[in-house]
Amino acid sequence: MNKLTMGLIIAVPIALFGMAAYLILLAPWSDAASLDHLFRRAAYTITWAIQLGYLAWLGLKWQAQKRAAEHAGFASPAKSSAH
Amino acid sequence: MKRTAIGVYVLVTLALLAWGYYQAIYVAPNDAMQGEIFRIIYYHVPSASVAFAFFAVSLVGSIGYLASRREHHERAQKFDAWALAGAEVGVVFCTVVLTTGPIWGRRAWGIWWTWDARLTTTLVLWLIYMSYLLLRRFAAGPQMQTLAAVLGIFGALDVPIVYMSNRWWRTQHPAPVFGGAQGSGMDPSMVGALLWNMLAWFLWGVLILALRYRVERQQQRIAAVEEQRALEA
Repeated sequence: MNKLTMGLIIAVPIALFGMAAYLILLAPWSDAASLDHLFRRAAYTITWAIQLGYLAWLGLKWQAQKRAAEHAGFASPAKSSAH
Repeated sequence: MKRTAIGVYVLVTLALLAWGYYQAIYVAPNDAMQGEIFRIIYYHVPSASVAFAFFAVSLVGSIGYLASRREHHERAQKFDAWALAGAEVGVVFCTVVLTTGPIWGRRAWGIWWTWDARLTTTLVLWLIYMSYLLLRRFAAGPQMQTLAAVLGIFGALDVPIVYMSNRWWRTQHPAPVFGGAQGSGMDPSMVGALLWNMLAWFLWGVLILALRYRVERQQQRIAAVEEQRALEA
């Protein structure tokens, strides 16, 4: 996994969190329909931020483990059959 | 072959997530009382269901670990990895529940949070499993897995309490979608969107659960090799 991919994996969930916060904080409280729409979008966005954030964390852990496995002198997670 | 099967599984899951989104936004109608904000239910309820299912995986893993730890070391390690994976992925979905719920509540009730039985028991469930994960992260020594297994079993005891809370007690939280009293439930035009999203998020959850299990099994192998080397040195 190159640095650009790693950067994207980390940046996307952070951007989604930022977007969800933006939708809630800057929602126009005078217009109920717009407010409902923005809050619904914020809820969906935050769901993806949490899921992709966890996936990114898992990916980083996987990468670190791959290095540790190489250091320990046996097959990396991608190569070994873990089941 | 295995890689192809995994690729197909990932594609089907992503397609179902997209289909679920389409159903939730474009097919299901607005709620007559709540308007568009009601559509949060299509992510909120499936996340809660998947969290419960994975806490059940953690429960089975914890019981399996305790039952096999003395005689079947390898099997016990597998059970332990399932217990950890179930708890961790369950916490992820429970976090989604605890964030999407208050966003809905702010519009529907006018408040972000209330100490209602359903909300409080869900928060307690999240805290129990967070403490489980912190125990696994920071405790060391041979007793850690056993202690974690016991905590995992106690944590799972809260799941039926969360599920039954809005049946046993009068709560501000809406009535159950399925299996509630007469008059509760959903309009048939909305059920399809909910079920599609349940299926999609369940498949997504299984995907990250399997990934987490695999990472943990590899971690156990690395730890075993390092332990062996330390003994030899």
